[in-house]
Order: sequence, then structure tokens, then C-alpha cells
Amino acid sequence: MYPTGTLALRGVSLQIQPGEFFGLLGPNGAGKSTLIHCATGLARPSSGSIRIFGHDAVQHYGQARTAVGLAPQDLNLDFFLTVRETLDYHGGYFGMPRRDRADRIDELLDAFSLTAKSGDRTQTLSGGMKRRLILARALMHRPRFLILDEPTAGVDVELRLELWQYVKQINAEGTTILLTTHYLEEAEQLCDRIAFIGDGQIVAQGSSSELAARYGVAGLEDAYLQLVGRSELSRAHVGGGTGS
Amino acid sequence: MSAAQIRFASLLRREVNRFMKIKRQTLGAPLLETFLYISVFGAALGSRIDQLHGIDYVVFIIPGLIMMAWAVNAFSNNASSILQQKLQRAIDDQLSSPASPIQLLLAFSLGGFLRGMLIAMLTFGAASVLVGVPVQHPLVLLPALVLVGFFFAQAGVLVGIRAEQFDDLSFAQTFVLQPLIFLGGVFYSASLLPQPYETITHFNPVYYMISLVRYGFLGYSETNVALSLLFLVVAVTTLFLVNLRLFTTGYRLRA
Repeated sequence: MYPTGTLALRGVSLQIQPGEFFGLLGPNGAGKSTLIHCATGLARPSSGSIRIFGHDAVQHYGQARTAVGLAPQDLNLDFFLTVRETLDYHGGYFGMPRRDRADRIDELLDAFSLTAKSGDRTQTLSGGMKRRLILARALMHRPRFLILDEPTAGVDVELRLELWQYVKQINAEGTTILLTTHYLEEAEQLCDRIAFIGDGQIVAQGSSSELAARYGVAGLEDAYLQLVGRSELSRAHVGGGTGS
Repeated sequence: MSAAQIRFASLLRREVNRFMKIKRQTLGAPLLETFLYISVFGAALGSRIDQLHGIDYVVFIIPGLIMMAWAVNAFSNNASSILQQKLQRAIDDQLSSPASPIQLLLAFSLGGFLRGMLIAMLTFGAASVLVGVPVQHPLVLLPALVLVGFFFAQAGVLVGIRAEQFDDLSFAQTFVLQPLIFLGGVFYSASLLPQPYETITHFNPVYYMISLVRYGFLGYSETNVALSLLFLVVAVTTLFLVNLRLFTTGYRLRA
């Protein structure tokens, strides 16, 4: 609950299995980011509990936060820092020794094609490069649980596909991933299971096909439109006459 | 180094790195300002004022200037650093790390504290060369300066947390901090003021701080040294506990 009295989340009960790629879908203001912020310590839940690999996110925040890497939807980079410093400080905040930080930074700069920019201040980077750096920063301390809050919002097609490839690979290597996105195709492509959140509550969860079946529609997009009460926007209706 | 030590060192390194990257603004400008005060009030006007309590006027004002440099820079550094990171939401990187509230508070506090200390030391060095500044009671001076620096570092953290825009910082610095410091007796002895101004000055906490620091340097004090030190310890502890509470609850930092 916010100090204003607004209830952001109500009775949310969600379990994500280790190694799973889990999607959280819902309209703006549904409570996706609040849920993420509660898990990462950026918001204080007024009731209930969140456990990350068995560690309570409030009582044992040290162990819980060590396990989490957060790539927020805002490009919240410190413009005083260079690309390398951004990663170096982040690693330091998570207790990584200097030598380990240096090796990991080189590895991530290479993986995200940022090596040539390592000495540049973050404010000079393009939007796409900032997005890569945000993801690299989230991965810096080798989290077991990666939270991607709308990671491909506003990025071009090439970078989106590149990011998909990368997160698929780290998921295959064992990292559990929670993804929020407004791109349903993205969720469909990447996620093992998906939950719909609306008005602070989880209203449905399952695989893409299970959700479609539950709403009696053809695909995830139509299921989502049912959730938000806008089924008249379904391509089956809107684009029905344009096919040959 | 343990993980906790690496974490704290990184948090503090970030704060020091911030002000070292903009040295002209964070070190050059305050040093020039202090030099101008010494030139105008000490050398130019001071030649007409002669002595205060048996001490050359230019020497009399230097302890207050050193303290003011430490205080203003500790305050403004911490307030700006926290607000700037809050506005960019870059602070989320530290807040979502395993750093404890006390680690975060100490790192943010010490950033400004160290900047203020650096400027105070450079001011002292320059003043010693230019006019010669005695240090009569180092065992009082050192704790007094450290406590004053830490007090204003804490005040800066408090204002930075509460602030929502840079105008809030400017208000606190221009309308609260500067008047308290200037009217606390940096440039004069409160005993020279007519009533009721002399009595009013005794309600200004900065008056006791300047008096302590002046005693440490020059051996002259208008207040009870032990009581002033005690007052300072209580004030610093109170402010530290208030800030620790804010970091623990996440007031205006976490949603």
C-alpha cells in the first residue's frame, strides 16, 4: 500500500520455479513494477512476504538481493560514471573482489558490444547502448534470478532480437528469469509460463496455450485483450476483412 | 577484504569519485571563495580593524573560515549527490544492492565529509603560509572539526533525502545554512555585538561550533569548551540516528 492509501497489489500469490522463464503481463498501472520493486527492495510491502530462493526479501534482504539482478525499465544510469565504472561499482556493491570484477566487466563489455565505449560517460551513449549497459549491469554479479522490466521498450528490431538471443542463452544456462513486457509476441517466444496481472491481482497464469484455452481464444494476444476488456481490438475482428 | 568491506568501499569510492570528477566546481570554487574572504575581510578591511581580543583580525577570522569551508562543502556535496541520484533514479542501483542502511548512510555522509576536510586542509595550509595560524589546542581542535564536519555531512544527507528539486537545496543552503554560519560569528566576536543581538547569537548552534574551533586554533573562547563539545556530540548523534531511521524505513528513497 502506498502512503497515499492506494493499494498497489492485493493478495498476489505467485511462485516461479528455479530455471523458469516467467512472463508477467498486464496494462500500465496493473502492479507489475510494484511487484518487482518489492522483490528488489525498492518498495516496502505493507503486508505479505516475498521469498527469493528461500530468503525473505525484507528480513534477509542481503541474501535475497544478492540472488537478484534487476534491469529496470527506466534508463537509470549515473551520468557521472563511465561504462566501465558503472559495472565496476555495481560489482562492488555486491561484494565482488577487484580481480573478479575486472574479468567480469571485460566479459560483459564483449558480450554486449560495449568494449569500444568502456571509457565513455554513460550520458554520451545512444538509447540502445544504454539499454545494453542496463542489462550488463544487472548481470554483473552473476544473479541466479534476473528481472527484466520491459527490457525491449523503445529499442530497434536488431537489438531486440539480440537481447532475446542473449536472455534465452542465460536462461538455458540456469538463470531464472522474470520478464515484464507489453510485447505479447516477446512473452510468447520467450516465456515458459505467463501470469496476467490486473488491478493489483494475478488473474490468470499458465503457458501461452493454456491461457488462450482458458479464455477460449486463438492466442495469447486475444487472451490478453479479454483480460483488459478490449476484445473488440482482436485482429480476428479488426483485420478480418483484409486477408486474401 | 570481506564482501561487506568491498561493498562499503565501493559506495564510498563512488561518492569521492563524483566530486573528484568535477574538481573545478567542488574543490576549486570553494577554495577561491575562501581565498577571497581572507583577502577582502582579512587583508583589506582587517588593516582598519586592528586586533580582536589581542589577536590580529585576519588571524581571528581564519578558524571560522576553515570551519565554514568544511561545513558548507560537506553539506552541499551530500545534499546534491543524493538528490541528483534520486532524480536520475541511479540511486536504485545502491538501494537494490545488499548494502545495509548504515553502510549507505555512512558512505553518503563520508563523501561530503572528505570533500569538506580536503578543502579545510588546503585552506589551512594556504592560510598558514600567508598569515600564519597557530594551533593552540590540537586535542580540542581535531574532535571539534571532525564533529562539525560530520554534523553538516549529516545535515546534507537529511536535506538531500527530503528534497524533491534543486530549489529545495538552494533554499536550505541560502536561507538556513549561510545565515546561521555568518551570524554565528565567523567574521566577528559575538561579545562585540550590542544587545539583544549578542543574546540572540547564543541561540545559534553554529556560534558554539565556531567558538570551539577558534579555541582549538587560537586558545580564545567565548563559550564553555566542554559543554560545547558535549552539545556537538549530542547533536551529531541525534542527526545520525534520524538519518539512519530514514534509510531504514526508505523515506523518500524507496516507494
